Amino acid sequence: MAAFLSGISIVCFAASYAVALACEASRLAFRSGVRGAAMVAFAAAGLFAHTLFLFWRAVDGGAAPLSSPFDWYLLAAWLLAAGYLWLTIANPRTPVGLFLLPIVLGLVGAATLASREPFLHDAASLFWGRIHGGLHLIWSVSVVLGAIAGLMWLIQAGRLTRKEAPVRGFRMPSLERLASITARTPMVAAWAAAAGFASGIVLNSVNRGRGLMETVPWTDPVVLRMAAVVAWLLIAARIAATARSRPDGGRTTARLALVSLAVLAASIAWGVLGTTRHGRPATAAAVVVPTATEEVP
Amino acid sequence: MTLALVGGTHRTVPLALRERLAFSAEQAAEALARFRDCFPGREGVLLSTCNRVEFYAAGENGIDAPPPEQLVRFLADCRGIDAAALGPLLAREHDDAVVRHLFGVAAGLDSMVLGEPQILAQVKQAWAIAQDSRTSGPLTAGLFQAALRTAKRVTSETALCRERVSIPSVAVADFASGVFERFDDKRVLLVGAGKMAAETLRYLREAGARDVVIVNRTVARADDLAARVDARPAAFDRLERELAAADLVVSTTGASDHVVPLDLFVRVEAKRQGRPLVVLDLAVPRDFDPRIGERPGVWLYCVDDLAAACEANRKSRQRELPRALAIVDEEARRFMGDMHHRTTAPVIEQLRAGWTETGEAELDRLFRRLPHLAEADRGEIRQAFDRYAAKMLHPPLASLRSESHSGPPHGLLDALKRLFNLQD
Repeated sequence: MAAFLSGISIVCFAASYAVALACEASRLAFRSGVRGAAMVAFAAAGLFAHTLFLFWRAVDGGAAPLSSPFDWYLLAAWLLAAGYLWLTIANPRTPVGLFLLPIVLGLVGAATLASREPFLHDAASLFWGRIHGGLHLIWSVSVVLGAIAGLMWLIQAGRLTRKEAPVRGFRMPSLERLASITARTPMVAAWAAAAGFASGIVLNSVNRGRGLMETVPWTDPVVLRMAAVVAWLLIAARIAATARSRPDGGRTTARLALVSLAVLAASIAWGVLGTTRHGRPATAAAVVVPTATEEVP
Repeated sequence: MTLALVGGTHRTVPLALRERLAFSAEQAAEALARFRDCFPGREGVLLSTCNRVEFYAAGENGIDAPPPEQLVRFLADCRGIDAAALGPLLAREHDDAVVRHLFGVAAGLDSMVLGEPQILAQVKQAWAIAQDSRTSGPLTAGLFQAALRTAKRVTSETALCRERVSIPSVAVADFASGVFERFDDKRVLLVGAGKMAAETLRYLREAGARDVVIVNRTVARADDLAARVDARPAAFDRLERELAAADLVVSTTGASDHVVPLDLFVRVEAKRQGRPLVVLDLAVPRDFDPRIGERPGVWLYCVDDLAAACEANRKSRQRELPRALAIVDEEARRFMGDMHHRTTAPVIEQLRAGWTETGEAELDRLFRRLPHLAEADRGEIRQAFDRYAAKMLHPPLASLRSESHSGPPHGLLDALKRLFNLQD
């Protein structure tokens, strides 16, 4: 059993998701009676392998979910893949996978570039670390779902404006449904991101007190990008709330959701490619920089 | 086995004559009872819709289906029409052409609107009436079952019936449903009380619409339609207020100028609190100023917009036609193969009986000469004989089945009868 579990690699589930995505794309080309079953089968197989992979990392390597950037990305991808499977079973005629699966594959790709080193922690920092990682997961997933709904809104609105019949195999949900998603997700994302940022400050303080990890300075790229993301998401949530009562509110919130996704993507790219002390073990040279926790009023 | 069809459709019979030729369900039952008396031993099914009247007749076991001219006279007599006038307008088909025709009809391939689904229910009803009238036998039962199966295959394996092609259905399913997720919490406003408004409302009701208000210049017509469709009538001077409260407007007045000009709508817009509005302007000339469609949150569709979508859907259906015809062809060939194979049943039965009889006689002789054989041994020997007989019979029976796919296998049947001395 252990040999089987250890043999599951990222390629296994990424390939399954890729095949499911190819099946989704084929909706535009031809009709098929078995495609729906094939899509669900490949997505389910991928999710199963994905689950076993995370499980084996937790059991064998002691890498609980959210314990490293690598695991964080894979858990975010897992959540979106599970959402895709559920949405496809519930709404088989909506090609949600065309929008969701590329992001799932993107997150899996980001995971392969991200550090697999687990964050060091003791009991207190483990608690705050999970809160911190969990909140980041919530806002990231909210932003992705909001952006997908926003993109679908714009596509559907474009068709309705051009007064065209729906394209076969590419039937979007109604504007009303999509607008309700794009209106809610900015709120969830903004509050989760703000709380995640605050929990990061607390975590930084706990780590510094125990000397487990490097304290993260305010000038660290991770702190800067998260501050920018939180600021943007709060602004976006505010605009989305006021746009609700305007006739073109749906379009505004849809565009905001796409900008939020771009912000998230830039943030991830910055996190993957940039240098940071976020989550690094303590070194002797690292304690002279003014820290975020010291600057908290 | 013979099949015959006599009938006329919207393509061949003028409406005035089609109206006289049409049968209600009761009249169809009476006609079939008369058919049973006139043509004993034959099977018959009468399909009568607003676009076609067709009589399917069948005969089996040496009894042929009635000749087409007799069927023409029968139909004409039933409806009191001059057979000489009717005859040239009716089509006549035989055997596999009948099968292909019925399969195509059931699948909606011969309908005025390609792929329309109502015909399937009408075919089912026609067969049910024939069953009740005891004019449907094994042949027509097999034929109509196969027709229903073909129609289901065409529906599930092609997109022929998926795309909507009527303006009200396209307006609701492809456009209004693209904006709204549900209609049970929406206010629907009908401006005008015309037939198109009622038709569109039917689709909106199916989609869940409950709250419907009808505004019409002639209050009596609004009241009348409101009573028929369970809606609330409102005076025409309340139009502005009702527009402010509405989520979806269906406008079908006969007014010669815009009923809702831009300035009126701008006044209404301020009271709508940003709610989206779908306007289905089905009137010609248009009731809504086209510039209203450029306002944010307004989705305005006129007849031309919807007609273009209908046309696109029609073309989409046309593209599915070759696949649908291929299914009809495949099912028709399978049905005819089965039917031809049915004609070989008596010969096969005799052949089997002959082999079994001979085998049994030989076994009896063998068991008498070997009385010491245990019951288990006898059973084994009996099974070996049965297997031997089945294997020996398999090649001629397989040849018969194979030959049946390309027509009645008369040559093989004659050969078998002569070789094995079988009786007719």
